[in-house]
Amino acid sequence: MTFDSATADRWTSIALFAMGVAMLIGGYTMDRLEIRQIHPASIPGLVPMILGAAMMLCAGLLFLSARAAHSAVAADRGEHPKHSSAESSPNLFFAASYSVVYALALVGSMPFALATAIYIAVFYIHFTWDKTAPIHQRLMRVGYGIGFAVIGAYAIASLFQYGFLVRLP
Amino acid sequence: MDGLLALAQAFEQMATSQMLFHVIWATLLGIFVGSLPGLTATMGVALLTTLTYTLERDAAITVLICMYVGAIYGGSRSAILLNIPGTPASAATALDGYPLAQAGRAGYAMALATAGSAIGTLVGILLLVMLAPPLAEAALRFGSFEFFWLAVFGIVISGQLTGGITPLKGYIAGLLGLMVAMIGSEGIHAHIRFNMGIPELNGGIGLIPAMVGAFGFAEVLTVMWRAKAKVVNAAGEKDRILPKLADLWRYKFTIGRSGIIGTMVGIIPGVGEDIGAWASYAAARRTSRERAQFGKGSYEGLTAAETGNSAVVPGALIPALTLAVPGSAPAAVLIAALFIHGVRPGPMIMIEQPDFIYSIAVMLIFATISIAVFGLFLTRFFVLVLKVPREILMPLVFTLCVIGPYALTQRTFEIWVMVVFGLLGFILRQMNYPMAPLVLGIILGALLDKSLRRGLTLSDGDLTPFFTRPISAVFVVIILASIILGIPTVRKAISRGLDRLLKKQAKGTADG
Repeated sequence: MTFDSATADRWTSIALFAMGVAMLIGGYTMDRLEIRQIHPASIPGLVPMILGAAMMLCAGLLFLSARAAHSAVAADRGEHPKHSSAESSPNLFFAASYSVVYALALVGSMPFALATAIYIAVFYIHFTWDKTAPIHQRLMRVGYGIGFAVIGAYAIASLFQYGFLVRLP
Repeated sequence: MDGLLALAQAFEQMATSQMLFHVIWATLLGIFVGSLPGLTATMGVALLTTLTYTLERDAAITVLICMYVGAIYGGSRSAILLNIPGTPASAATALDGYPLAQAGRAGYAMALATAGSAIGTLVGILLLVMLAPPLAEAALRFGSFEFFWLAVFGIVISGQLTGGITPLKGYIAGLLGLMVAMIGSEGIHAHIRFNMGIPELNGGIGLIPAMVGAFGFAEVLTVMWRAKAKVVNAAGEKDRILPKLADLWRYKFTIGRSGIIGTMVGIIPGVGEDIGAWASYAAARRTSRERAQFGKGSYEGLTAAETGNSAVVPGALIPALTLAVPGSAPAAVLIAALFIHGVRPGPMIMIEQPDFIYSIAVMLIFATISIAVFGLFLTRFFVLVLKVPREILMPLVFTLCVIGPYALTQRTFEIWVMVVFGLLGFILRQMNYPMAPLVLGIILGALLDKSLRRGLTLSDGDLTPFFTRPISAVFVVIILASIILGIPTVRKAISRGLDRLLKKQAKGTADG
């Protein structure tokens, strides 16, 4: 199953329908603030209820039209082909997971500049690493990565800390 | 006449050396951001917003506008040289720009793109100055009923036009944005909704962290996912880098029409530069004498696309300033930035800060002059920019995505918001959900919510005024028509009916 397929759309429609139901119930059961004697038409749950119902309707339509919509999109792409590009799932997985680890775990658990320098260095070295290159070239790559990371990290940290007076995380 | 005087005064006030310095660096940075595939104007404006907190109002807004104009223009570079639009706005530019580059005319293609962008922005500025004040005045007549429909109209039209041939996904994206806007304290009774027991959600989801995530982090992931692009062998480096006036004169109608189409598309809430470019391109192809050349390296096609997308920028600022409804995704960030810097966009702007619209026009003029100068004289430098390795750029961009939203409130929670929106934004984009309606939903959620409940309170629960007041009725008709026309079977039935009618007419003429 790819992101852009009828099956993916059907699964998404189920998730969206559930979200719509949750919003509808959340809006319906929300405090109506009777104690404050507000106008019944201005209850805080009104719009969430409407949005929940609208989402349920759209999710239902998405489920029903998934196959037809994808045939139409495929026909359209036949006329206007997308730019061809080979995609790399390992690259995506590494970039996503490593960036999340940096943002949610490294930042805050050590000085910001250090966390950033580690992040940039590892990111750079990982994506430029060439197993077939001679050892001295690889060492140079590592050295360049660390140097670039240290300069980049301290420049950004200093800009925010001293330029914009931000208390860094 | 008053408008011209106000414009001259704003120009005099803003033409300081400090402001020009800001214009230069921000436009250069904007072109740089726009040139690099994957870095969009919205991301640039969102990230730069976090860097302009400490600047004074006019300087901060100038920086953001120069980034916006520069990035939209910069997208043409990679569209021409890489066949990959630097920003979605330049997708139409690639159709004719890349074939020209392959034919060794990259330099001239970039020169025409520069001229088209500059003229397009100027046309947009002219319309901004002419249309914004009366629109703001008209908006003063809007009540809760009209504002409710305006918000619905924004979501529906944006979903319709950005969702491509499946507008349903556009509507869903808009609904998701509206749902996000329901989180936190609501605007009438200050009741906290859907905070899920997390106190940080009491204030709602911040637009800037959400935008930085959806446009910044998601872009980093997209860039690292895709294969590296190769710059076309720029035989064009020896090519002419100044546009021929004769060419510009030959395409004067195309330029004028594309400028107007772009501005009008910009005025439509949440539609954006890419649609402006495609609409202008389609109009130019329909009327051109060199129609067969379109898609194979047409100067006219390239000029139309670039004029169209650049004219959207001032156009998108018209509803942003006068109604607080963004015409495009970067304009949505600009609205947030305006609030941060103490400007309250909306119908009251012509009463509270009547000169501000003219200041914006001057900022746009500065940005236009800058793109023209840099675009024509730094062509070779920007070819080098395209060679910056993504392994260097992307970790720096992500670091800014982390620290930028944090700097706004100095809460780690904003980093979480950015990460969640980044991952969701990436997945949604791969599934063909447009981001513009989502952003518009986040912005318009509060307006829609408050206007509906306030309107119902005023009418004592009666729905009739929502349909009978003149402006509301017009909105209702437009919204219903666009939803009905968005249904594929209805569209097909209409086109079949039109075909049949045309055939009948043709037959009738032949018989006659």
